[in-house]
This record gives sequence, C-alpha cells and structure tokens, in this order.
Amino acid sequence: MKMESFDDTFLARWVADELSAEELLEFKKSKYYLDYKKINEGAKALEVPSFDGEAILDGIYGSLQDKATKPKVVRMMPNWVYGAAAAVIVAFGVFLFKNNNTEYETGFGEQVMVVLPDDSKVHLNANSTLEFNKGDWESNRVLDFDGEAFFDVEKGSIFKVNSKEGIVEVLGTEFNVVSREGYMEVKCHEGKVKVSMLGGDRFSILTEGKALRLIDNKEEKWEFKEEKPSWMTGESSFRETPLSQVIRALENQYEIGFNTSKVDLNKRYTGSFIHSDLNLALRTVFGPMNISYSQEGSNTIVLK
Amino acid sequence: MDKKSVCEKENYEIIFNNYSKSMRNYMYYKCGDLQQAEDIVQDAFIKLWNNCKKVIFEKAKSYLFTIANNAFLNEVAHKKVVQNYQKLNLKVSTNETPEFLMEEKEFMTKLRTAIDKLPEKQREVFLLSRIDKKKYVEIAEITGITVKAVEKRMSQALVALREKIGNI
Repeated sequence: MKMESFDDTFLARWVADELSAEELLEFKKSKYYLDYKKINEGAKALEVPSFDGEAILDGIYGSLQDKATKPKVVRMMPNWVYGAAAAVIVAFGVFLFKNNNTEYETGFGEQVMVVLPDDSKVHLNANSTLEFNKGDWESNRVLDFDGEAFFDVEKGSIFKVNSKEGIVEVLGTEFNVVSREGYMEVKCHEGKVKVSMLGGDRFSILTEGKALRLIDNKEEKWEFKEEKPSWMTGESSFRETPLSQVIRALENQYEIGFNTSKVDLNKRYTGSFIHSDLNLALRTVFGPMNISYSQEGSNTIVLK
Repeated sequence: MDKKSVCEKENYEIIFNNYSKSMRNYMYYKCGDLQQAEDIVQDAFIKLWNNCKKVIFEKAKSYLFTIANNAFLNEVAHKKVVQNYQKLNLKVSTNETPEFLMEEKEFMTKLRTAIDKLPEKQREVFLLSRIDKKKYVEIAEITGITVKAVEKRMSQALVALREKIGNI
C-alpha cells in the first residue's frame, strides 16, 4: 500500500529489528509485508561456500617463505658483457674460416667486445666498425676504424688505428677513440698515445688522463679522471662537446633521428645520458640546453 | 603501555582469524568468484605482513579492507564489463517439510537470481547483513560509507528484490 510513505531506511531498520512497535504494526498491514518477510527469511537461509582459513594462511606463509629464500641475483657485469662474450665466441668461429680481413660491425644501441689475436681488446660502442688483417697481425698491428671504441692494447709492436680523421699509434696502453664524420676524439686512459691528424704533419702525444679532440681539423685538449669510458657501463658522458656529436651519439644508441633545423649544433654540452631510457636521456641532454623536443612519427625527434 | 606488533606471528594470526573470513565473503559478494576473492584476501595479508612495521594493530582491519577494496577495483572491475556478473553459487539449507520443498526451491532460485542481478553496492550490503549477520555499523566500516548510506542501500536492495521476484 503506502510504501512511498516509508522513509528510505525503513526496510533496513525493519530487517534489523529496529522498528518501533507502532511502525511494525503499520508495516504488517502493508500489502508487501509477507513478500518482504519471505525474502528476508529466504536470504537468511542462504549460505556461502565454506571458508578454509588454514589453507589460505598456509598459502600466505608459503609465498612469504618463497620470497624470503629466493636468492638475490647480484650482477657482476652489465648485461651486454654476456652478449659481448657470445660475440667473441662467434668471432673465433669466424677466425677459423676467414684468413684475410676480419670485420666487426655494431648496430644501433649495440656494444661488442672484440679480442684481437694478441689478446688486445677492443670494446666497440654502437654503430661502429672495425677491420683488420688477422693473418699477419703479430707483425702488423693495424686497424681500420670508424665510430667509438675503447682499446686495451697488449704490449708489443706499434699498434695503429686508422680512421677518417687521423691515426692513433701506441705501444701498449688503454685509450678511447671517437671517430665520426668531421670529428675525432682520443682519450688516453693509460700509457702514451700518439695522434696524427690526416692531411698534415701535425701530431700530438697524449699521456695518461689527457684527451684531445679535432673538430673540423681544429684541435682542443683537456684532462680527465675516469678510469674507463662511462659508455662501457651504460652511460655516455660529454665534456664541452658540440651538440652535433651528442645528438649523433643519441642516434647511435637509440636508433632514432633528429630534426635539428631549428637549433645551433655548435653549442657545447657537458653532461651524460643513459643508454637504457630514451625519455630520460632526452631530458638530461636537452633540458639543461634549454631545447624543447617533441616526437614526430615513430622515431624522429624534433628539436626547437 | 605495550603495543601489539603486527610483526609478531601470534598477533598476525589473531588479525587473520578475526577478519579473513568476512573479507573473503565481502570480496565474494562483490565479484562472485570464490577463487578471486580468496586470492585478494591472501594478497592483502601478504601486504600486511610486508608492512607490519608501519601498520599498528588497531588499524590492521581498515588497512586490510582498504587493500582488498583497491585490489577489487583494480583487478576485478574491468572484468565485470566483459562477463557481467557470475552467478552467486550460494547453497541453500532448509528444514521445511517435503511438501513445501518444491515451492521453496523455486522461490530460492528466484531469490538467488534476483540477488545476482542487484547492483554490486546493494548486493554487498544485503549479503553482509543477511549472511554474515554484520551490523550496519560494521558494514559501514567495511565498505567505507556512512551507516545511513548502508541503511539506504539495504532498503533499496529489499525493494529491488521484491520487484524482481514479483508475486510470491
């Protein structure tokens, strides 16, 4: 009958036995009273599937235990080292069949370590190539090289790295070379390095902790402290480096392109970017430079 | 004053014994999937253990229900859109005489179907009250709404059930 006259919590109070005697009496006269009574009684007869608390508690302790006893994996070396090791194994396979020139090439974001026949090691950074003659290596340690690499050279005869921009000669030492179109950078991490510029008789001797760069044949020198180049541990660092080179390094690590028509590529950048997170890398490079960037298409970054 | 630490197994199990069943049922009323309900309870207790230093004993209940609620919102809600609501698999126990059983069975089937079709918010309040015998104050605490709102939902549920079942 007059259900509308009941307030909106009336039925709730009824099932909870909170109605006054008068209210209850009134409700019992209502035409729906018996319906509600039956629903309420029916609902009270419902049961839920039984609850096995012990089984759940066991499950909880079980999964807590799993977590507690799971050994922590501590990486001794960055991941790429394993890839590099695999590459070395493949490289030896290649040696067996190929007697003449041996060539190594890395793609975007790739790093490879090459062991030369005299145990000298070359760590190739992304988008770099290395070529040498394996046959007479002991007497003629000459490499053709383009890109960026860290060389750990065993003592022996003169070790020579030919690149487009210049020649680096050493006896036994560790050094890092960047050689890209119009740009060359050599950092001596140990021993002595001789750098000769192409197209002239000029040369420079670098000792430990000294670095040199050539930008369009203009020479700059500075000093540094780190033992190994940071790119070998997943980060590329720069010191007053022309933006054009930083962008090139970004392109090589992340396989992306840049539209640079609106920025001054001769501006210098000091800082670093990581190899594992493009967004973070973009922010750390272009944030301090006051350059805004936006993505266009799947892999082009527009700079403004 | 000595405070009970949740990190002690004894206290942790007190909490478990007090709340795990109502949590499981509450989640079951929400999602209608027993396995999922128990998984959510288990995960909530694992989180409680992992954060046992940060949660004080007296707050453990609301912590657990909040986590379970969030888990439901994150994991379960989106499934409902796809599969709608699974039938509540509630058992019936009656002690009626055989003559009434047929009629009774038919009514209970209708009732179950009607409960299944209630909006989730009405259903959880209705079942917590009728099956778990929770007081409105407790239901308000569990669901995070006011007692008044619980009473309204309870009343709405009853009206909706009567309308859905029709002539009884």
